[in-house]
Amino acid sequence: MPSIANPHFVLRRLHSLLGVVPVGAFLAFHLWENSQSRLGAEHFNTEVVGALAGLNYLPFIEIFLIALPLAFHAVYGLAIIGGGRAEPLRYGYLRNRLYWLQRLSGLGLVAFILLHVGMTRIAGLMDPAIHADLFGHMRGALSSPWVFGLYLVGLWLAVLHFANGLATAAISWGLTTSADAQRRFGWVCAGVGLLLGAIGTHGLVGYLVAPSGAGA
Amino acid sequence: MNSVRRAVRLAFEAAGSSGAGTTSSAVVGPEPGTRVAPSSTPERRTVELRIRRQDAPDTAPYWQRFRVAAKPGDNIVSVLRALRLDPVTTDGERVDPVAFEHNCMEEVCGACAMLIDGSPRPSCSTLLAELGDVIRLEPLPKFPVVRDLMVDRARLFAGLQRVQAWVRLDGPWVTHERAPRISQRQWAADYRYSRCMSCGICLAACPQFPDSAGDGRGFIGPSALAQVRLLNAHPLGRYDKTARLHAIMAEGGLTDCGNAQNCVRVCPKEIPLTTAIGELGRQTTLQALKDLFGG
Repeated sequence: MPSIANPHFVLRRLHSLLGVVPVGAFLAFHLWENSQSRLGAEHFNTEVVGALAGLNYLPFIEIFLIALPLAFHAVYGLAIIGGGRAEPLRYGYLRNRLYWLQRLSGLGLVAFILLHVGMTRIAGLMDPAIHADLFGHMRGALSSPWVFGLYLVGLWLAVLHFANGLATAAISWGLTTSADAQRRFGWVCAGVGLLLGAIGTHGLVGYLVAPSGAGA
Repeated sequence: MNSVRRAVRLAFEAAGSSGAGTTSSAVVGPEPGTRVAPSSTPERRTVELRIRRQDAPDTAPYWQRFRVAAKPGDNIVSVLRALRLDPVTTDGERVDPVAFEHNCMEEVCGACAMLIDGSPRPSCSTLLAELGDVIRLEPLPKFPVVRDLMVDRARLFAGLQRVQAWVRLDGPWVTHERAPRISQRQWAADYRYSRCMSCGICLAACPQFPDSAGDGRGFIGPSALAQVRLLNAHPLGRYDKTARLHAIMAEGGLTDCGNAQNCVRVCPKEIPLTTAIGELGRQTTLQALKDLFGG
């Protein structure tokens, strides 16, 4: 059958699917977990980092449910991004601006996520002390206005990319067909994005304002 | 359709205000590119055309300016025809007439699409009353220039061929049956897609439609996809639905759409192109499941 024998369709749809599940789902989970920074160092280091570190088969989950899908989504996205030419000034429609922002945010996110994973997960693997007190490590890093600004931009780029990707994936898969349905679901996705962005911002601020506790 | 209604309305407005005997106070012309209300009197006005010219497909483009006296009710085609009678630039140089295409003059043939003040539009239904006194005209992008404002639209038809955008009348089935019945609701939905006039405006505005045809495997664009939507619903066209879906599931097909949705905003025929893309998304999703699991 052509659609299966020819990988084009399958790869494009896989790129779309992986962006929502598991990458998008992980983003939501990740922001929710880290919003608990507000509850302090002890809670964060034991209930959040400690609980996740105790999961069975954690390396498999991290590699096969997070790292590889994310890597595929990023690499395939980079491979196909050159095929488009956005003209956000000539065609100032909202969807066209979002088309342009989706590609721009994708590029930014590749850089941000590499940096972010290096600063946290990889640094934690290299230095057990960082892993033991991830709260203190993040608090120290985010105390720098530059790092805080970088994380704030990275967070909102990720949320924008996810929310807009969710809206366009619904069109690509044929969930929303009429213009009205696409507009309605677009607003739902905007709401999801704002909510996730708020949760994430709360988490970032939480590192700085929460009590240090015994673990710090 | 919209533009015709607009033209009628503008004609009425012009007639009504001239009857009231008002005089024009428009001394200073508007900024180029701004849309202005029709002049309160049907006085003749002069417009400046800035035209991107090109003598042959492989020569460099250049700009020329012309000043043309416009009549009330003029559109871009009628102004270009007037210019053809006396092609003298603002520098006083007599030049070759500007090449452009036009045919039906009622927004159904699609031949006269070009960039007007940077926007892709049919020049027959773009009224001067909507434009400023300086008008920029460029050939429709994404299509090779033949000469001046005339482009080669062969890519558009190559796209229709790729997706089998036709109905097969001859085949191993009974043809001497009564005409198939279509519900009024389906007819109304399908009719909107049948209005496509292959003008190429949606393709000019599509960020995913490649600048040049290349190997012919780039994105086919919204116009051909809308015809797949139309013909897949057609009582005879349905026979080839699977073949069409497989065609748009290959390279350059439906999945290359980036959902910028410029197409539906610029389409002069108000074809719901993005609805077609959503519906084809659903059809291809189901087709992939059929291909995978059978059925």
